Order: sequence, then structure tokens, then C-alpha cells
Amino acid sequence: MYKRISLKILVTFSLVFFSGASITHENMQHNIDKSSGEKCVEPTDVMRAQHHIFLNQQSHDTVVKGIRTKKYSLNNCINCHIKPLADGTYPSVKSEEHFCSGCHIAAAAQVECFDCHASKPFNKVVKKVGVLEK
Amino acid sequence: MKKYELKLNRRNFLKNSAMLGVSTIAPGVFFQELAYGRALDEPASPKIRWGMLINTNQCTDECDACVTACNEEHGIEDFGRPTTDTQWIRKITLTEELSKKSISVPMMCQHCENPPCVDVCPTGASFIRDDGIVLVNKHTCIGCRYCMMSCPYKARSFVHENLENQLPHTPRGKGCVESCNLCVHKIDNGENNTACAEACQKDGHQAILFGDLNDEESDISKQLKKYATKEVRSDLGLNTAVRYRGI
Amino acid sequence: MRDKTEYMVVEFSKAIFLYGIVALSLIGLGLFSFITLEHEGHWLTGMNNQVVWGLPHVFAIFLIIAASGILNIASISSVFNIKIYKPLGRLSALLAICLLTGGLIVLVLDLGRPDRLVVAMTTFNFKSIFAWNIFLYSGFMAVIAIYLWMMFEARYNKFIGKVGAFAFAWRVTLTTGTGSIFAFLVAKEAYGALSAPLFIALSLLMGTAIFYKILFWMDRGLGVPLGAEIISRFRKLLIYFIFTVLYITVLAHLTSLYITKNHDFEFFLLFSENIYTFLFWVGQIGLGTIIPLVILYNKKLSKSAFGILLASILVILGGFIMLYIIIISGQAYPLDLFPGYNESSTFYDGAISAYTPSIYEVMLGLGGVGISAAIYIFAIMVLDFTPKNLGDEYTLGKEYKEKLIQNED
Repeated sequence: MYKRISLKILVTFSLVFFSGASITHENMQHNIDKSSGEKCVEPTDVMRAQHHIFLNQQSHDTVVKGIRTKKYSLNNCINCHIKPLADGTYPSVKSEEHFCSGCHIAAAAQVECFDCHASKPFNKVVKKVGVLEK
Repeated sequence: MKKYELKLNRRNFLKNSAMLGVSTIAPGVFFQELAYGRALDEPASPKIRWGMLINTNQCTDECDACVTACNEEHGIEDFGRPTTDTQWIRKITLTEELSKKSISVPMMCQHCENPPCVDVCPTGASFIRDDGIVLVNKHTCIGCRYCMMSCPYKARSFVHENLENQLPHTPRGKGCVESCNLCVHKIDNGENNTACAEACQKDGHQAILFGDLNDEESDISKQLKKYATKEVRSDLGLNTAVRYRGI
Repeated sequence: MRDKTEYMVVEFSKAIFLYGIVALSLIGLGLFSFITLEHEGHWLTGMNNQVVWGLPHVFAIFLIIAASGILNIASISSVFNIKIYKPLGRLSALLAICLLTGGLIVLVLDLGRPDRLVVAMTTFNFKSIFAWNIFLYSGFMAVIAIYLWMMFEARYNKFIGKVGAFAFAWRVTLTTGTGSIFAFLVAKEAYGALSAPLFIALSLLMGTAIFYKILFWMDRGLGVPLGAEIISRFRKLLIYFIFTVLYITVLAHLTSLYITKNHDFEFFLLFSENIYTFLFWVGQIGLGTIIPLVILYNKKLSKSAFGILLASILVILGGFIMLYIIIISGQAYPLDLFPGYNESSTFYDGAISAYTPSIYEVMLGLGGVGISAAIYIFAIMVLDFTPKNLGDEYTLGKEYKEKLIQNED
């Protein structure tokens, strides 16, 4: 009896815990428009695994210390990765066409960045990537 | 033989001293504006203390250029709900009880040196940056609103609804508390002025002056020395960075 | 001193069923309100940039200080060694946990970003009394758990005194911390250092009244007979604590009335035509102080279980209203930024702010009450918290027989 119960527990546990394996980071779509020209901030596999760490550290540096380097700046990411759709509008962050949401919706890992941050580059002229002209 | 031969004579001495003198003073003359232009990777400096001087003699009840400019700069929307809509800067109309004289006062976060809001924040989200700007770190803010209770100036607002069109340089969102941040994005990018001060100057009123309180040569420091100025609720001992003339 | 009281695990019955249904419905309401507010934002509530803390906070603080006060019943037996209260110790500790949990949940669910609770539990600014409160509240749970353990485990009964004293000190600190949330606001005229002892006195009163309500329900619903001795004791406790709260209230207001600077606020609160004046005189003083005292001194009512129940309910209502007045009126009254001037602006400077609680806030607060009730019901059906009999012959023991003999004479 105990064997059957523990087997059930083991199966349930595995199903719940390892179900995410079907959507691994390697299988995710990489919706980047390479026409921006600049090279990637970091190699793709590094970004996939650690982009949140870079963003987290940058958020602390920018808000608390006022350091506004462009490399890991969220606005910089947005300017490069978020391209307008065919009709000229920008994808909503709630749809999978948005670069960040493309992976995050599929992985069901909600991010709270865009509760506050702009999810699209605004109608300011972008002189070069990462620099918004005022 | 030495590579550089010193020609020790009076002519050279005078020439060299003059050059030394000029090259010492010239940067102060030509590069003064750039002295504040921080490099992007340079943190805010504790040597600076940003502040404002507001001359209410130049303010009128009808003008709210500063309020409009602030709202536009930071993407603050009007939802038609004045009790819950955010206001970073507002114009207060004061009427003196005895004489009934009326004064118009722009009021915003006073960026105190001893801010009550920083003291009471449980997570430390409300903090004072090295250069004196009091900010809310919205990554850490849990939206408890205790800082709003504690602010003597009622400077803070809570975002009561979902926001969608935030501007990239001013992230703001539902559930966090916010207040005037002295246009910190402009300061960090080298434009050492705030939207409200710029709008006021453009309108010709010259009521709001922004500058470095620690720099004795700045306009604001000179005006603070020249005119009688006041700190609102000075009895609380908060040492605000925003000072007023005309009240 | 081993505890010789007989306790029981409560069986499922009609009373439990009814109580449970009510509790679950309240929880449902609270959940609905929370999900709606979380989705839409606080603009649906009556809280705004002027009155930032509203009815949910009144509920939360009510439950939290009631939790601290209800442990007093256990303290009376453990710390002050009055043996008649001994059978009530387990219940007192359990109810403290229930009420505290309910209160904290309302507080957390009302946050602008409740998803950041983990941040609140890991990042601290130790100059903030809020941060200290987080430790005081969670530590209190641990202290009560140990206290209960000492009470349940017969061979540890001898430690009840020491643990009880520690719990007593902890809850005085906790209530002081809660009162200090308001006392530490430099700019608000409404609050001062007396907020902390006022909250302590209020906690004792609320705790006693709520505990009596539970005892009454146990008598009628669970069949645990309630003796005249316990009724009389609770009557006296209520009287003492009503007077204590009244004393501190009078002291606070009288002092404030002496200070000309505070006149405007005191007149706004006590002698105006607004809701706060009405609530103060009719609610806090009338319903919460005078009528209960009349009941408690009335020859007939003061001896009946129902009479004390009536007084308890009125006292709870009065206490709730008192907290409402304390929390809301202090915010509704405008800050005086420019003494000597009248102020007006688009941000409601100089204006008395109107606050009307929305249905969402009522539901959220009731949800917290529901959680407290549900934990209580669940706990008494799992462990033996409930004494079997609170009649005089059990509580008085030897003295009962002596009293009987006395009465016969």
C-alpha cells in the first residue's frame, strides 16, 4: 500500500516539477531583428541564462547610484529588440509578438518590468542605438 | 645631453608662468558647464546637492506652466479622478488670514536632508541619493503608503490604476508611490535643469531656479545669499533643498 | 503545576457548520475583493492620495491589537497566577494566532504590490517602525507557538510562568510598535506619544470582549457550560479596561485642547458637524463606553451571560469606531503647511478630505475576520483547546464547595 502511494506521489511530483522541461531555454524563439546592426550585448546563451541578473544589477546601479551605462540598460534592450509590426504599431507587451513576452508567456514566467517600464521605444528619434534624442 | 634643456632666464620664466596661470584658470571659464556633465558610468556625487529656489513673487494664480511641463515630461495622465490622480507639483493658493493677501506657491517634494519618508519606509525603497535627490526605488516599493502618511508636504502620490503609456525615462506603475524626482533623468544626462524650471524660464516668469546648493558660484547659491528665503515647515528641522522667496 | 483541566477536541456539529459557513463566505468576499483590486488598482476603493489608509487598515489594526489583547487572558493565569483563568489559556493563545493572522493578511492584501511580500520580508530599513513590526508580528507567532507547547505538554507546564511572562513583554512591545506607527508621524497633529499606551489599553479591552463572545458561543453552540464566576470575572475585566481606555482618551484630548495650535484639529474632531464628531460621541463614547458601563453595573444584566455579551458586543463596536476615528480623521484633516494662511489647491491642500469606504474595502476587511474565524474552527476540531466545562464547580474547585456552604448559611 505504501509503495503504491509513494509511487503516485513520485509520479505527480515529477509531472509537476519537470513539465517545464519541454519548454527549455534552447527551444525559445529568438525574435530579434538583426537589422539594427550592432552586435549582441552578450553571447545569446549568456543572455538567455543571465539577462535578468544583468537587468537587476543595472536597476540597482541606475536608481540608487545614478549610473546610466547603456550596455545593460532596459531602454537599450527595448530600442534594439522591439521593432514595429507591419502596420507600424508596436506590439503590446501582453502579446507574444513582443520580444520579451515571446519567451516569458511561453515559459509562464511573468515579469513585472513593464508594470512600470515603457515596453516600446517612444516616438523619439533614435540617433544611434541606445541614445534617445530629446 | 639632457633631452629637455631648461632655459633659465626671465623671459622664459614669465612666459611659462603666464601659460601656467592661463591653463589653470581657462578650464574654469570655458568648461564650467561641462563640469557637471557626468560620464554615464559615474555615480551621483555627494559633493553636489541639487536644490531649487522658488520666487513666489513671480508666480500668479492663473499660470500653471510648471505643472503642465512636469506632467508632460513624465507622462502623467489625467484620468479625471482628482482625488487619486498623481500630482508631482501643484500650485497652492495661500490667503493670509488677516490681510486676505493671496500668494501662489508651487509645491512639490522638498527633497529634505532628513526626510521623514526615508525614515519610515519599511523596505528602504524611499531613499536619498548621494546628490540629495529623494527618490522612490520602485523595484523595492511594496506600496504600503506609509511614506505618504509621513510626508509633511503631502508630496507623494500613489498610482491607483494600471498605466500603459509610460515614458522610457520615467518608469512608473500601479501600486508604487512616486513624487517629484527633480527630473533625475535630465540631471544624469547632463541637462542640469528640471522641466518645471525650464518651462517657467521659457514662459518668462523666472520663478523657479534649479542648481547646486553646494556650489558657491552657482546662481542659486548666490540668490540664496542675496535674498531672504524660507524653508516650508522649518520647525520640523528637515533642511529642505527647496527654498522659497515671497512667503 | 500540572494543568488539571479537562479539554476536548470539538466534534463537528450544527453550530460548527454554521460558524464555518459564515467564515468561508467572508473569506470568499475577501478573495473576490482582493483579486478585483489587484487587477484594477486602488482607484476602485475610497482610499486616495489624501486618505491613504482606510477601512482595510482599520480592520487590520483592529485584528492585530485584538490579537495582542486576547493573549492577556492567558497571561492573567500564567503571569499573575489567578487560577480561575487557567482553563482559558489555550484558547486565548489560539485566538491570538487566529486574529493576528487575519489582521496581517488584510494588511498584506491591501498593499499596492502584495507580490513584493518577499521583498518586504528580506529587505529592511531598520529606522522604520514598520520593519520592526514585521519582526514583532512574526516573532509573536513563534512565541505563542512555544507558549501553547508549554501548555499542551504536561511535563512542561512548569515553564508556563516564564514563557508567559516573555509573551506578555513581547505583546506589550508589539502593541507599542503598532501604536508607534502613528506616534512616529512628525507632521500629523492627530497623533502623539500617547498613541502607544492608548493602543495597549484598547487591545486589552478588545481582547477581553472578543474572548467573552467566544465563551458565550461555546456555551450556547458547543455546550460548554459557562459559570457565574467566569461571567463575573469578565464583567470586572471589561469595567477596568473600559475605564483605562476612557482615561487615556480623555488625557489625550484634554492635553491637546490646552494647546492652541491643536485647537483647530480638536474642534474638527470633537465639536463639528462631520462624521467624526458623530462617531466619537455616539459611537465611541455612547455605544462603546457609557451604555456598556450601564449594562455592566445594572443589577440584573450584569449577572447574566447575555448581559455581558451585549456589553461585549457594544464595546467591540465602540473600539472599532474608535480606531476608525483615530486612523481616518488624522488623515482627513489637512496638513498645515503654512501656519497663518488659508490654503487651497488642486491637491486638496487646506481642505478636509472626504472618505467613503467602498464595498471592496468592507469585503477585504471582512475577509480577514473570516480567516481568523476559519483558523479557529479548524484548530479546535483538530486539537484539544476547548475546556470541557467552565461551570463554577470546575473553575473554583475547592472554593466552590466552600461557597455552597456559605450560601446555605
